[in-house]
Amino acid sequence: MPKFTLNGQEIEAKAGQTIIQAAEDHGVEIPHYCYHPDLPIDGNCRMCLVDVEKMPKLTPACTTLVNEGMVVRSENERVKQAVRGVLEFLLINHPVDCPVCDQAGECRLQDYYMVYGLHTSEISLGMKVRKRKVIDLGPMVVLDQERCVLCSRCIRFFDHVTETGEMQFFGRGDHVAIGTFQDRPLDNPYSGNVVDICPVGALTSRDFRFKCRVWFLHATDSICGGCSTGCAVRIDHRDGAIFRMIPRRNPEVNRSWLCDEGRLSFHELNKTERISRPLMKGRDGVQAPVTWEEAVRSIDARLKEIRAANGAGSILGFASPSATNEGLFLFKRYVGDQLGATQFDFRVDSEDKNVLEEEDQILRHFDKHPNSIGAIKLGLMSKELGGIDGAIEAARAGQIKAGVVIYFPPLVRRPCDEEVEGRVFELIDVLEYSVVLAAHKSEWQTAASVVLPVTPWSEEEGTYTNFEGRVQFAGKAIDAGGDALAVWEAFAMLLHASGAESPWMSAEDVFATLTEHVPAYREVTLDKTRLPGVIVG
Amino acid sequence: MPAGFPRGREERSFAEKAGRDARAPRDTMKKPAKVINVRERAEGESSFAKDIFAPLAGMRLTMNRMVDNLTGKVNATIRYPEERRAYSDRFRGAHILTAREDGSPRCVACYMCATACPADCIYIEPAEHPDPLIEKYPARFDIDMLRCVFCGFCVDACPEEAIIMSRETEICAYTREETMWDIKRLMSRPELPEFGLGYRPNENLVDSTVKFTPKHKEKRKLAGRVTLKEDVEMIPHVTFDPTKD
Repeated sequence: MPKFTLNGQEIEAKAGQTIIQAAEDHGVEIPHYCYHPDLPIDGNCRMCLVDVEKMPKLTPACTTLVNEGMVVRSENERVKQAVRGVLEFLLINHPVDCPVCDQAGECRLQDYYMVYGLHTSEISLGMKVRKRKVIDLGPMVVLDQERCVLCSRCIRFFDHVTETGEMQFFGRGDHVAIGTFQDRPLDNPYSGNVVDICPVGALTSRDFRFKCRVWFLHATDSICGGCSTGCAVRIDHRDGAIFRMIPRRNPEVNRSWLCDEGRLSFHELNKTERISRPLMKGRDGVQAPVTWEEAVRSIDARLKEIRAANGAGSILGFASPSATNEGLFLFKRYVGDQLGATQFDFRVDSEDKNVLEEEDQILRHFDKHPNSIGAIKLGLMSKELGGIDGAIEAARAGQIKAGVVIYFPPLVRRPCDEEVEGRVFELIDVLEYSVVLAAHKSEWQTAASVVLPVTPWSEEEGTYTNFEGRVQFAGKAIDAGGDALAVWEAFAMLLHASGAESPWMSAEDVFATLTEHVPAYREVTLDKTRLPGVIVG
Repeated sequence: MPAGFPRGREERSFAEKAGRDARAPRDTMKKPAKVINVRERAEGESSFAKDIFAPLAGMRLTMNRMVDNLTGKVNATIRYPEERRAYSDRFRGAHILTAREDGSPRCVACYMCATACPADCIYIEPAEHPDPLIEKYPARFDIDMLRCVFCGFCVDACPEEAIIMSRETEICAYTREETMWDIKRLMSRPELPEFGLGYRPNENLVDSTVKFTPKHKEKRKLAGRVTLKEDVEMIPHVTFDPTKD
């Protein structure tokens, strides 16, 4: 553990760290372009030059390992002049595209110029080297060769992370340009990451292009709801609409990457209409809007009638592996503890087998639900039932009369999804009395006795447990519309209507109760579920 | 620059230019040595006669001005709308979106104006421009003229000199909808010759060789409208149709 001095402050670095890494760990920002914690070190941008005592020249902090007793200065005049010089060179041919460039507001050229540069350009616009602009590199990425600062992050990403080697430098000297061979589109499922790592506006997102200026966006830390990997994301939203998702760095789950499917998964929330009010089937068999109080009282009364007539075993609790732990916990408490049901399941498609199966070596899993393991750990998988097919059979046989079903369609669509929804339709059809909690309208809901609108991913905070049992906290980004409540709120109301204790005022309260009652989550506090999350037993 | 190096005209302070040492106090700032009892001084200076006749000097001024007004020698009112006040060159009136030579808007939908606007009255929807050198143009550019406070921050913020202001102040409408100006209204300005250009960042954008700056007293007597022929020629009467781009 070498100790060294950085800007007069004594710092202890980990073994094998470079100066820039040690500085980052202690909150000192050294300007850089080509360095990235999850990519191999290049050292070509020369922005991270620092002054190390006894070294005759400035040395790049990203390639220099920390030695015991080093004295490093990153904020003296010599270093600032060097950084300003690098910026001057970069800005010689950089186009004055800020008004039209999407990166404005989060561009490291802009940011470093305001801190270190502030020099006047001596190059007139006519003298600048011109390159090609607005090149489509596939459905996710737009390339502008003029704006590139030649840091080679994208090249290293495709060489070492996806190992497809799609981008490369072409040309020499002033005319070096980044690109793919013959402008071929990037067709690998991680191409969107290159937009995040590009420090300037050379590679921009086609999906986010021109949608919103970044300074208007609010950021919420969350977890991707696309599959059971549970990558840490940041949701950028404004005025109740999500504009994009950016990966957050979680070295233990997704490093700095996010797959393209997950990146675009938020669009799924807007594709169909939402259920705005609770619907209840009246005597005439037609669903009519009611208030939450009426719906909840009616549900509780009816389920208790069915229990009295047919026993607690006739009630099915069918959860969704896309709901949060808080929602599933109160679901189990109401349907299981309060009503006494013993038949639980959540598998619509064999999630329990897929949850550990990796779709590729980098990030994705086949299970496109974020909380399957969470459902298993809360005891929502009865071995006897065997998934939704088993539930349908039991219902046909008359063993199950009523069901409380939470269903959120996956945010990452696959071709088999329609068939899967068909099975849910069958289940609701077959059940005599069914309570459905869903967010989006769908035809199979017309067969349900009661439909309650609940909030899907990103509209309520909660925790998700990923494939390896890691509990992670996802924040609330946008407000639910209409009368929709969170899943935990719906069951808190049902518990209250049922006469049980219902003291929770927030998802945090529910999580606290969860950690007391579920053995696997003992000793986990909400703080521990923030980045990087904690693995539960 | 090394110390003591002779500095240019722009770099000397006002005091240096005035040829005196700004740090030395002026004579008027020196107070007299003796202590003055202000009540005694006031009593000594006033008298009954002064109390009667001093206001008369004020009354004379008032009477003179009243007579001037009655005889028409001085007249503050102008006969609006046949006569109008002349506004300064940088007057902040209604906005104009300037055009390139081919008639399309200069605006690249960078949102500087919308961000700078303190009244939040600019709404822009960007679209992809087919020319990669321009890349972005506004498919919609709406200004809510009722919320606008005419501060001119949008003109200050614009990097492309795409939005300027004119000296037009007569923005009236029968319906609220007419006060929401869209890009067509902002670009086509048939009233421009009447009112002239106002607040704009770069004089060279509109090459008006005649600068009309009325003197203080002339403003009141001015009859008729201010028309600058040069203004009319420089901003063509374009109508921009985003659907026909």
